[in-house]
Amino acid sequence: MGGIDVGTGGGKRRTLDSEINMIPMIDLLMVTISFLLITAVWTHMARVNASAQVPGKEDPTVTPPPPKKQLHVEMRTSDKFVLLWKTGNTTINSVDVPRQDVIVKVGTTDVVRFPDLADRIEAEWKTNGEHQLAEDKDFDTAVLHTDNKTEYKFIVAVIDAIYKAKRDLTVNGKTERVTAFNVSFAVN
Amino acid sequence: MAIHEISHHSEVLREPGRRLMHHVGLEFVEKKISGGGHRATNAGLSLTSMIDFLVVTVVFLLMSFSTSGEIPIAKGVTLPRVENAEDMLDAPMVAINGSQILVDGVSAGNTGAIESSDRLQKIDELFNILKAKHDLWLSTHQGKPSPGVVVLQVDQNVKAIVVKSVFQTAAFAGFPNVSFMVDIIPRSSH
Repeated sequence: MGGIDVGTGGGKRRTLDSEINMIPMIDLLMVTISFLLITAVWTHMARVNASAQVPGKEDPTVTPPPPKKQLHVEMRTSDKFVLLWKTGNTTINSVDVPRQDVIVKVGTTDVVRFPDLADRIEAEWKTNGEHQLAEDKDFDTAVLHTDNKTEYKFIVAVIDAIYKAKRDLTVNGKTERVTAFNVSFAVN
Repeated sequence: MAIHEISHHSEVLREPGRRLMHHVGLEFVEKKISGGGHRATNAGLSLTSMIDFLVVTVVFLLMSFSTSGEIPIAKGVTLPRVENAEDMLDAPMVAINGSQILVDGVSAGNTGAIESSDRLQKIDELFNILKAKHDLWLSTHQGKPSPGVVVLQVDQNVKAIVVKSVFQTAAFAGFPNVSFMVDIIPRSSH
């Protein structure tokens, strides 16, 4: 048993060589470990945001705001992505990015990534993005267009590539790194 | 009589020192315990390293402890993995596995008709359940605007047309902001 040796007491005084009982301490540690192991969460889930761009009826009483410049990411063919900067229906510029799927098998899951697309989107935002200042509370919007046959894992991989572009955002004097784009998913 | 008692005790009282089990009268036991020329079988266990290990384990588990608990994932759903994601939030959960659509574990339609027609469709069952949830939220949070957020748990192999249909239905039911639930992976050096 563990103890603390502080020498022996002299004469009739109580001995100073006392032992600390370790059993309750070890019991407590064991119970704490058991509790924490049982309640532990080993899988950490996360989310990626997207807002719906759903066609709807126009309200004649409301004046629509002037159209904003948006990045449209088109994923309609198997060989390339098309990046279009548009204001309303007017195309400002267009870039083709060759599609190179990087698929890594992790267990039973296929992890899909588009590193070239992510780099290109980041470069496009740095060149054409309108909300780059840390004090600017608005975000640029990226609209994702896909065909109907595309599998979900590829859609999420493109959203992941869009979210790779990061910027600073200062709120109440505190600056943090946030995603440069808000993503909309075109449902048409 | 008294002298006899003192002399008796003088045999019992001995100087303090290392005398492990030497008072045991049986010689073969003494030999066994002290090793008898071999390595002693009576080994001491150092508690210091054990307590160190337990403390480190407790600290690690406390650091990784989460009070939010585990989010249940619907059967048959394999989530895609991404690098750039945000923390989960509390919102109605719509799960799409190979063939079924579930809202918080309750069946809300199936995907077969959408996949076979290859056309964007409003899923009535899903719409009714989500609309009821949206109305309930508005009635319990008087005067507050609805966040309109729904979390989609979608199997990685589901076709885009199904995702679009669920997305559109959710938007019509008052949930235009969708969060796709994903499994997070560490960022690559790229």
